[in-house]
Amino acid sequence: MAEQETTHFGYQQVPVEEKAVRVREVFDSVASRYDLMNDLMSLGIHRLWKRHAIALAGVRRGQRVLDLASGTGDLAARFAGIVGPTGQVVMSDINEAMLSRGRERQLDQGRVGNLNYALANAERLPFVGEHFDCVTIGFGLRNVTHKEWAIAEMYRVLRPGGRALILEFSHPTSKAFSRVYDLYSFNVLPILGRLVTNDAESYRYLAESIRMHPDQESLRTMMEGAGFERCTYFNLTGGVVAIHRGYKL
Amino acid sequence: MSDDETPDQGRDPAAGFAIPAGLLATIEAALNQYIALDPEGARAFAPTYGHIICIDIEGLGARLTLIPGPDRVQVFGAYDATPDCLIRGAPLALLRMMTAGRKQSQLSSGAVRIEGDAAVAQALSDALAGLDVDWEEQLARVLGDPIANQIGRAVRAAGDWGGRTRETARANLKEYLEEESRLLPTRYEVDEFLRQVDTLRDDVERLAARIARLAAHADAERGSLR
Repeated sequence: MAEQETTHFGYQQVPVEEKAVRVREVFDSVASRYDLMNDLMSLGIHRLWKRHAIALAGVRRGQRVLDLASGTGDLAARFAGIVGPTGQVVMSDINEAMLSRGRERQLDQGRVGNLNYALANAERLPFVGEHFDCVTIGFGLRNVTHKEWAIAEMYRVLRPGGRALILEFSHPTSKAFSRVYDLYSFNVLPILGRLVTNDAESYRYLAESIRMHPDQESLRTMMEGAGFERCTYFNLTGGVVAIHRGYKL
Repeated sequence: MSDDETPDQGRDPAAGFAIPAGLLATIEAALNQYIALDPEGARAFAPTYGHIICIDIEGLGARLTLIPGPDRVQVFGAYDATPDCLIRGAPLALLRMMTAGRKQSQLSSGAVRIEGDAAVAQALSDALAGLDVDWEEQLARVLGDPIANQIGRAVRAAGDWGGRTRETARANLKEYLEEESRLLPTRYEVDEFLRQVDTLRDDVERLAARIARLAAHADAERGSLR
């Protein structure tokens, strides 16, 4: 009997085709209180991390931006205000519940016209090549089954001169801080998850998936492998989060 | 290569310190809340939408980047794109330009310098200076019209009383210094003194001209005798 190909889902090994389903279940479960949980888990610091990402993206009016794993659209909303009516922002997510939530939120806040929505798998993007000036993925890459496929797709849809930004949890640079962070992730996070979304398991997965995500240098190497140039990364909050940036030249 | 904590995109190494992200977020929230208090005035920001406006605060060595949009003005430190316009100046000069109706004095004195699209800088400062918040209306939303109206009247009455008191105190002090203690001259004495100074200056100028004319005349006569 042929051995089944597996991948990690947190600390568990699951069949490759099952990971997307299980990730979807996680986000279906937390979608309704996703924003609240983000604020509680990060003590609101996720907003500052996203601000850094926006500043590093350096998007201008009239440009086209693709925001992958957009969730409820924190990054996309800011981009939409910058690119203006002559630009375009595409909010994309593989999870229908999250994207619907994000779309409702944007509509409720009156953002229409330059915002489009695409239910899409980051591993196989339904866009022509060399179309976007900037592609971002915020807190989504670690949930993608084949990260290298997603990075290659980001490269493909970028126009020459465009830039890709990956905002993602990463690995703390200090060992002492790392221990405190582990304590928080594996003890406090699941309790918060149980209290707010009545789902401790999803938040245990969150903590585990962060540990299984490639570290800063590995992810930079992956970007270079996909063809990105001038790749660099910026550690935020002691490496809890890193922003990787690469250019298609 | 990595940078810890501080993305240094597009920042001039000589630009000095980077404003902490938390403070930038607070500035952004406060600015947008203030703008939201005057929905009519907020429309004046429309010509600046999507423009990247950099403000270099000299002395502090800090840089702010504003990107106005229809739903909010986004505030960053360094922003990794070439700005549409760059406004440089000392903190007080910038504040005066942003809030005063007349910007010309700040610009012509060189206290504030603008590089790039000056029309965008002008539109931004006009929009900021043009914000006129109706505090009574804002109070009415929280407390209701009757109470807000009463508070408004009380504040206006207090303002009037303050103005009258200030004017009376000024008049009393003036009278004491000029008439009772004679420490300062009255306005009429000053006017008379200035008039006499003017007369004296004119007399001196006339005398100088006369002396110069006589000297020239004497030189000419000496020349003819030789």
